[in-house]
Amino acid sequence: MIRTVSVLAILLVLGALAAAVVPHLGMPRELAGVGREYARDGMEVTGSANLVTAVIVAYRGLDTLGEVVVLFCASTSVVLILTLFPLGVRPSPPSRIVEHTARVLPAPILLFAFYFIAHSHLSPGGGFPGGTVMASAFLLVMLGSTSVPGRSGSLPAIEALAGISFGLLGFWGVLTAGQFLNNRVLGTGTPGQLVSAGLIPLISIAIGAKVASEFSGVFAAFRKTGGME
Amino acid sequence: MSPTLMGIMAISLGSMMLSAAVVVLFVRDLLSAIIITGFVSLSASALFLLMDATDVAVTEASIGAVLATLIFLWGRGKIGGGE
Amino acid sequence: MSLFYWTVAGTGAGLVIVGLWGVLSRKNILRIALAFTLADTGVNLLLVWSGFLPGRTTPIIDGTVTASEAAASVVDPLPQALVLTSIVIGVAVAALFVVVAVLASRRLGTADVRRMKELRW
Repeated sequence: MIRTVSVLAILLVLGALAAAVVPHLGMPRELAGVGREYARDGMEVTGSANLVTAVIVAYRGLDTLGEVVVLFCASTSVVLILTLFPLGVRPSPPSRIVEHTARVLPAPILLFAFYFIAHSHLSPGGGFPGGTVMASAFLLVMLGSTSVPGRSGSLPAIEALAGISFGLLGFWGVLTAGQFLNNRVLGTGTPGQLVSAGLIPLISIAIGAKVASEFSGVFAAFRKTGGME
Repeated sequence: MSPTLMGIMAISLGSMMLSAAVVVLFVRDLLSAIIITGFVSLSASALFLLMDATDVAVTEASIGAVLATLIFLWGRGKIGGGE
Repeated sequence: MSLFYWTVAGTGAGLVIVGLWGVLSRKNILRIALAFTLADTGVNLLLVWSGFLPGRTTPIIDGTVTASEAAASVVDPLPQALVLTSIVIGVAVAALFVVVAVLASRRLGTADVRRMKELRW
């Protein structure tokens, strides 16, 4: 009883605080502050037609590096816990629909993932969703068979290599232009071409490879502990 | 897209999302709760698309509606599907 | 347009409040994780909403939006970049939450948080 009343009191206080802010908001009509500068100069400074990718990889590249570190810590912790404290039983065999679908679908899914990563600076795209779609293609292959993945070192090796290459690309900027993750070292090229926008495509590929190998490692650890029913 | 059409879509999606969120807390079966959470993520992805955030919509659809749902389904398989 | 604008804000705020209520009042550990994910989705919705300008278009410069008029016809790209980071980190936190919850409930034999009383001091 006391618990319910205190929960309701907390929610009412938070709701009143939020409602006190709302009358001071209005519908904005113009871009303000930093967003205006990114929209105005984004394409000619970075060479990327996709302004959101320009902000993520070029203007706020250090925040993306921090996000990659957070993902690495989380996925390594998950795999470590599941390896140290095994939970498992044997995974159940897949049904006929899953088995036949897993022979056909992973190839178009991987093609879509590569397209999405490669066009990160031209159209809606990016390294993070592309890497996730790649990991889901690997998960489909894993779900379509009864074998449990063995002890492989290739997934952690790919992940480490992708992470290191992100850092090395940033340091290349330090060596040539005095600024970490400078985008100009390769030249911006003509915006709208597949090969353009400096370091942005390379960094997107590194991010995509890292995210894909991390989530595939997490799914392989789930599979070893007894399947995802 | 005309403002009235966007308003109608926002009202229908928003009301579905809020009622689905309340259902997640009270339904007895955990499998239904997990799938309804996936539905809320997918509707949020549709709202992101209506607000002209295309990268965010694809990321939310591929991460929130697929990966998070799979992780919760694995967890439910490990500790039973009770209340 | 103001109907759309304020409805999306209300949906985001409502999801945060329902998610918070679920974290505070439910007793199954997986249901608490689900409510946490709902609150996270609500926060991301509010962040993208803060950068939305009515009547404008996607921040991608192609045939329909040229570079010179970009600042006058696209929505704000900065909150969208922040929300991309936030979504990915949200799923990483949810994965760690579920794994630790599974381990704890296996060790302590229950999925009820009111009975997980091992740590008392």
